[in-house]
Amino acid sequence: MKKLSIILVLILAFLACKNEEKKVEESTETTEIVTEIPMLAIADFDTKAGDFVSKEIKIKGIVDHVCKHGGKKLLLVTDEAQVHVVSDERFDEALIGSEIDVKGVVLEEVIDEAYCLKMEEDNIKSHSEGQSNDDQFEAKKQHIQEYRDYMKANNTDHISNYSLQYVSHSELE
Amino acid sequence: MFKIKFWRKWSRILHRDIGYFFIGTSIIYGISGIALNHLSDWNPNYSVTLKSFTTNLNLQNTSSVKNNILLLLDDVDRKENYKQHYYKNQNTLKVFLKGGSSLMVDINSGHGEVEYLKRRPVFYESNYLHYNPNRIWTWFSDAFAAALILFAITSLFMVKGKKGIKGRGGIYTALGIIIPILFLIMYM
Repeated sequence: MKKLSIILVLILAFLACKNEEKKVEESTETTEIVTEIPMLAIADFDTKAGDFVSKEIKIKGIVDHVCKHGGKKLLLVTDEAQVHVVSDERFDEALIGSEIDVKGVVLEEVIDEAYCLKMEEDNIKSHSEGQSNDDQFEAKKQHIQEYRDYMKANNTDHISNYSLQYVSHSELE
Repeated sequence: MFKIKFWRKWSRILHRDIGYFFIGTSIIYGISGIALNHLSDWNPNYSVTLKSFTTNLNLQNTSSVKNNILLLLDDVDRKENYKQHYYKNQNTLKVFLKGGSSLMVDINSGHGEVEYLKRRPVFYESNYLHYNPNRIWTWFSDAFAAALILFAITSLFMVKGKKGIKGRGGIYTALGIIIPILFLIMYM
């Protein structure tokens, strides 16, 4: 009985301390700076994303598909355009076909000749190791050629490819 | 002598009892391991059935197109399964259905194809767990991984004599170590 009383006293003391801490937390006034995150239309993403590199934005679209390999990429689409969203965590496949608002950080990927050479090397390596089939190998090869053709046609030494690093999302009805 | 007996006894106890505990988890990781190793060859989560169709419905991009999409769904699936739609390009409409299925239709010719997805039982659930769905499973799978290391260590002490580590067991152990090393030398 004596032991039980001591334990009860200790528990009550602990709870009292917890409440005290809570009161202190409640009484501390915090000033939170709320900054409005700009909403970009997916159709404007490619032209305007350059102004928001490493900054947070929001976009809205339909999830066309989630990468079946890692599940960490999704393609957000509208009638006009599409944006790739990448994440450190896997996306839920049930999102496919849902309209969502995504908050994320704009990423810029610079594609130049060195990048194309690296892509070529990786493509050959993954194909020779059986990680990609003939169709995937040819598709990637064609993709690299398209980059080169685009740079040549536009007389530029690089292409900026923008995507979004996922922060959060909310599903729309 | 006492020490060897002690380790052998406890190796057997731990290997046996923890082994029983992780039988289910071993099967889950074994099934999903094989399934996910062959991602390029198949969809390990869903079985996919394709069905072609032709429609006379007007599916041009207008404000009232949704009514016609629902009519189309009544033909090829169920209109209650409608989720969303968008135009992939000027000629192609994509409609998403509940459960992951979808259809694409050429709005000019009316030719289209539905992709019906059906979850592969056991594989879907195993793959879901393999991908660490949340923190709690991460801890549990860490415990499983630690148990695998324990199984490897305890197996060295479990059996004595010519079938143990000093005999046949030793040859198997050496082979199991040499194969990954050879692979690393050849391909890395």
